[in-house]
Amino acid sequence: MKQRRLLLGLLALWLAAPGAYAQTAPANPVDPASVQALKDMGTHLQSLKRFRVSTELSGERVLADGQKLTHSASATMDVARPDRLRATMRSPRSQRVLYFDGSNATLYTPALKVYSTVELNDTLAGLVEKLENRFGIEVPLSDLFVWGTPAAPLDKIESAMNAGQDFVGDELCDHYAFRQGKVDWQIWISTGPKPLPRKVVITNRADEARPQSVSLIDWNLNPGFNDAVFRFVPPQGATQAQIVAPKTR
Amino acid sequence: MKHTFSTTHRAALALFVAAGLALAPLAQAAGNRGGGGHGGGHGGGHAGAGGARSKPQVNHSRADVRTNNVRSTSVNNVNVNRNVNVNVDNHGGCCHNGWDNDYHPIATAAAVTATVAVTSAVIGSIVRVPPPGCVPVNYGGYIYQQCGSTWYQPQGGQYVVIAPPY
Repeated sequence: MKQRRLLLGLLALWLAAPGAYAQTAPANPVDPASVQALKDMGTHLQSLKRFRVSTELSGERVLADGQKLTHSASATMDVARPDRLRATMRSPRSQRVLYFDGSNATLYTPALKVYSTVELNDTLAGLVEKLENRFGIEVPLSDLFVWGTPAAPLDKIESAMNAGQDFVGDELCDHYAFRQGKVDWQIWISTGPKPLPRKVVITNRADEARPQSVSLIDWNLNPGFNDAVFRFVPPQGATQAQIVAPKTR
Repeated sequence: MKHTFSTTHRAALALFVAAGLALAPLAQAAGNRGGGGHGGGHGGGHAGAGGARSKPQVNHSRADVRTNNVRSTSVNNVNVNRNVNVNVDNHGGCCHNGWDNDYHPIATAAAVTATVAVTSAVIGSIVRVPPPGCVPVNYGGYIYQQCGSTWYQPQGGQYVVIAPPY
């Protein structure tokens, strides 16, 4: 009898077990540890004074009927904080170079020998914001210059989760997934004492076809460039193009 | 757009045009070769401006007309100006100019009918050199040649007439 009751008890426990371990969504969709990982990465990014970062991007265009086309582009950036940047952007139809020396930003198209310069006294985060808002010009990997500053508010994140670990190349990374506004995004951050972003995937939910960009990121924290690379000197025969502010902003 | 490529055979002769001669005719053969394997897969090797010298230019002349009708694109950042990046800037085609997106639709269906009436050059037609009096304009980070109400987009050493970008 005693034995039977024990058996029944074990049976009950066994039956109850799936319930006890059932996956239930956490009460708070924003996992604080995942947000903290973003903060730590932002702090680390802001601490880097001089680096070269390059990216290979795969993006998508959605055609009228919802079919998607994938395109690619790449960029290499030499950066010296707080206010120096040179970005070489390569896409199938053009190559362009953005120079920023802390007081002027110049966009140069070598194949056409055409450049445009605007006066811009600001930090790199300010450069990103002003080029975007005033001229509709996007800086590659612009988030790198914004994370860790007030311009990257973490309280707008509606969902944050740890998605486990993964490799990017040979490097072990922590994988996180976030939702905010009309974008879902994922980031792979190097595991360990140097939390650098190695991969970013952004899914645009504004269109039901959900076009997505994938950026792979490589770092060189001991770059060989000097400050001359940030200054634009017009090559002989180069002409200047007027820069037009977008009309409907 | 088919009628615009009468220069094909002539361009094929210019296979070894130096990259600096931006107005030289596009080497079609080289462009076709590049279109398959090298269209966007730039290696990480070349960082400087000289990197483009040895690479064939892309040739979009055989792209289906449907590829011009883009309704939205992916976005490249999560912090900057979300409202602009997603589907708001809709004049002259679609979408915000991402740094990766040097693609300007030759015209959307609506833009074709609206623009052909007022411009002398047919949208989609291609010239080696824009007419005299054109000025380079940087719009959204990309260089166009504006000639009154006609706009040209540089493309593989040639210029294609597009709907005005704004």
